[in-house]
Amino acid sequence: MLTSSPMADPNTDVIQGTLDMLILKTLSLEPMHGFGIARRVEQISRGVFKMNPGSLLTALQRLERAGWLDAEWRQTENSRRAKFYTLTRTGKKQLENETADWTRRASAIARLLKAEG
Amino acid sequence: MSLWRQLTYGLRSLTHRAKRDRDVADEVEQYFEEAAAAWRSRGLSAEEARRAARLEAGNMTIVKERVNSYGWENAARSFVGDLRLAGRQLRKHPAFTLTATLTLALGIGANTAIFSVVQTVLLAPLPYQNANRLAVLDTHWTNSGHTTPRVTGPDAEDVRDQARSIEAASLYNGGNLGVQLHDHSVYTVVTWVDANFARVFSLQPIAGYLFTDADAHHAALVSERFARDNFGSTQAALGQVLHVENEPLVIKGVLPATFDFPAGTQVWEAYPLRPESRSRTAFNYKAVGRLRPGVSFQTAQTELNEISRRLETAYPGENRNKRLLALPLQKALTGDARPTLLLLWATVGFILLIACVNVTHLQLVRSMERQREIAIRKALGSSGWHVMQPVILEGLLVSLIGGMAGVLLAFPAVHVLVAMAPKELPRADEIHLNGWVLAFTLGLAVLTALVSSLLPALRAAKVDPAGAMKQDVSRGMGRHGAARLRDGLVVAEVAATFVLAVGAGLLLHTMMTLMSRDMGYQTRQLLVVDADAPAHSEQDAHRAVQQFNELFAQLAAVPGVEHVAGIMGLPMGNYGSNGYYKTRGGLPVDPGHEASSIFSVASPGYFQAMGIPIKRGRDFSAQDTFESPFVAVISESLAKQSFGDADPVGKQIQCGLDSDKWMTVVGVVGDVRQESPAENPGPALYMPMTQHPFYANQIHIVLRTEVKPLTLMNAVEEKIAQVNPFIALRFTTMDAMVNQSVAAERFRAALISSFAGVGLLLAMLGVYGTMAYSVAQRTFEIGIRMAFGAEKGAILRTVLEHAAKLACCGIAAGLVLSLILARLVTGMLVGVRPMDPFSLGAAALLLLLTALAAAFAPGWKATHIDSMAALRAE
Repeated sequence: MLTSSPMADPNTDVIQGTLDMLILKTLSLEPMHGFGIARRVEQISRGVFKMNPGSLLTALQRLERAGWLDAEWRQTENSRRAKFYTLTRTGKKQLENETADWTRRASAIARLLKAEG
Repeated sequence: MSLWRQLTYGLRSLTHRAKRDRDVADEVEQYFEEAAAAWRSRGLSAEEARRAARLEAGNMTIVKERVNSYGWENAARSFVGDLRLAGRQLRKHPAFTLTATLTLALGIGANTAIFSVVQTVLLAPLPYQNANRLAVLDTHWTNSGHTTPRVTGPDAEDVRDQARSIEAASLYNGGNLGVQLHDHSVYTVVTWVDANFARVFSLQPIAGYLFTDADAHHAALVSERFARDNFGSTQAALGQVLHVENEPLVIKGVLPATFDFPAGTQVWEAYPLRPESRSRTAFNYKAVGRLRPGVSFQTAQTELNEISRRLETAYPGENRNKRLLALPLQKALTGDARPTLLLLWATVGFILLIACVNVTHLQLVRSMERQREIAIRKALGSSGWHVMQPVILEGLLVSLIGGMAGVLLAFPAVHVLVAMAPKELPRADEIHLNGWVLAFTLGLAVLTALVSSLLPALRAAKVDPAGAMKQDVSRGMGRHGAARLRDGLVVAEVAATFVLAVGAGLLLHTMMTLMSRDMGYQTRQLLVVDADAPAHSEQDAHRAVQQFNELFAQLAAVPGVEHVAGIMGLPMGNYGSNGYYKTRGGLPVDPGHEASSIFSVASPGYFQAMGIPIKRGRDFSAQDTFESPFVAVISESLAKQSFGDADPVGKQIQCGLDSDKWMTVVGVVGDVRQESPAENPGPALYMPMTQHPFYANQIHIVLRTEVKPLTLMNAVEEKIAQVNPFIALRFTTMDAMVNQSVAAERFRAALISSFAGVGLLLAMLGVYGTMAYSVAQRTFEIGIRMAFGAEKGAILRTVLEHAAKLACCGIAAGLVLSLILARLVTGMLVGVRPMDPFSLGAAALLLLLTALAAAFAPGWKATHIDSMAALRAE
């Protein structure tokens, strides 16, 4: 049985501008391949965010070229060749910057919403 | 770091396209497999799981494409793809491609060649250390506005010692001189410099040492080339003794071959830091200096102005109105060549313009043929940019190929240019194609692509699909706007060519004037020997004159020699002097406008040898000796200037050449042009060698010959060696010297004429193209007219009339343009006005004939259109 049909879901798009941060954060735990990242984000966000593979894999290329990620081909547990991404030192720094930036903005929005309420 | 990754990753994916495709496919497939596996683990069947994964993640192929399209290299690749398409199009139209490429190759090649000269001579820094801080000192008179590139010893010394903005300054002087080595003598450029000279230029000898002030008159530096040529090696030259003007000098050091300032100097003789000439009115020196770091020329000049004012106060007589100027050395060296080079640059600019117009025209024709295709593409929804892109890319491709061909053309062109260039062209040996020039060419190619394809591209973008499909160019129902545009291009082309042709006509006319001018003497069959006899003391000088006189007698006996004489101050020669003179019994002189003249020192028989007519009185004779009363011969101009209509023979004259003795005028001779055929004849004062021995040891020996002058070279050299082997020699002929004196004019005339020729060729192509196209376009219409009985002559006449009309419009526009540009060349013209009717008429006729000739072939073709075939076609 399908417990949740993707079509029936409410909006699961990643908030614009946070895709990079989510990827970097996820990879800060351990090296992962593309689907691993998507699944981890979905699990931790309890299904609020779902990643589109086109955007995700393109973003991974972009982050790799920016020097924030390194990539290498490795075997998965079910011995399938997969591209694993690792956070680099500059990537870690970038994550810190983006997190700080996000926290600042999120708390500002939270304050605004509270004031309205 | 990230930029580096962008570049290397992009390049890697470009060069290993297949691997990147495979990797992306693998990664995407793995993603989908994992997604399906995740669904399977929740209990779905394999088939259901795959479907669920696709439903959730989308179409795998689209994802692959999207991921694959990331990166700058994809844009680059699509550009290359479009370029390849453009290349295929060009291959399919070889006539268009070949004509356009060749046209641009000519235009870009000419520009590249001239720019490489301009870049080296005018733009590149001088090959000296701190070149931008090097300055020359000039003397300027504020009242007359006159400036001389020379300074007096004491003035320059004051500047050197007082000016804080000048770090080092050096006085120098010199010229072509004989240098006596232990077994032979050579004729070369010798410069007397003080010990500061090496500091100014930061010189480092490649062997030996620099000299100090204590070495003055005892030491010399020589160039690497001089050392190799005369001693075998740089080491062998050290410590050798050479004699300049009878002074023994020890070679202390050798300077690198790359340094030959000033004017190709090979020997630098040590002179004292304290200038020996103590007069503030004798401009015996030139001076170079180096500004302190960070000091601008303006600051230096402000300081020099102040020093000049102080000197003016201290020496009110000698330094009245005198200002010392500091000018950039580069400007001083290349200033004379600037107008010529800029003129050439402007000319090749015109050529490029004509070439661009031609290519624009060719592209217009091509895009008209493509109009229906463009209309269909627009009807199907292509944007304006999309239909412009192929036109611009084709233009770019043609320009780049043309640019490359142009560079290939430029290599030999630069060689020819340097070989043809007058000797006075500074830095000629440095000229070669370099990175700057190639960058210029590339920029030029891109620019021409843009310029020449802009119009066709815009027209393509403006095509109205509905209208264009209804029109049919092959039936002579082309749009009038398009025809007018092409006509306009031809008019522009003819106008530009007309300007070039007028320029060429003016310069050629100048050249003809110069070559046919009466110099005042006979230039043919005249051998000229530069002779430099060593003399230091008064006795030496008297002995040298004695020896020369004996030599003249012996040379006169050489078979083939008619007359022999010696002269200091030969027209166009190396040596000469001039200055003020006074007369007794002459016309009154305005104070402040003293009469001046050229001073020459000659042997008896000089006027006869040169073919200068003696108008009154007598020539010098053997009886005019140092002990006898001093005599002089004057030119007709001097006679008129100072004695008016009175007979000057017997009058007294005095000049400051070397003695203030009064001289009696014994003869009057015809005028000569002293510096070049371009100059007007002026006053000249001749004095006998015997009475002015100090000015008679560096002379030209002139030999009037019955045979070809240079065939006597060996016989003459042998005779001179018998008399005195230490006389340094150089041979030339008067004809060669006259030719050399107009080398700059010849260079200009030859280059501009060849450029005008290229322009004419291009214009002819342009007219031909337009006419051929419009005849082809009107085949149907002409067919109908012929079917209704039109005469062949009438058809031909319409085509020719059209061409003539375009040519006339172009000529009229060119005339206006020439009027505006004429002042550019005014300074280069001799004996012809910028609006010379002959040149203008010749240019107009030439262009009209060219246009008619170019239109004749298409016109002829039009008369042979078979009306039945033309109507049936389609």
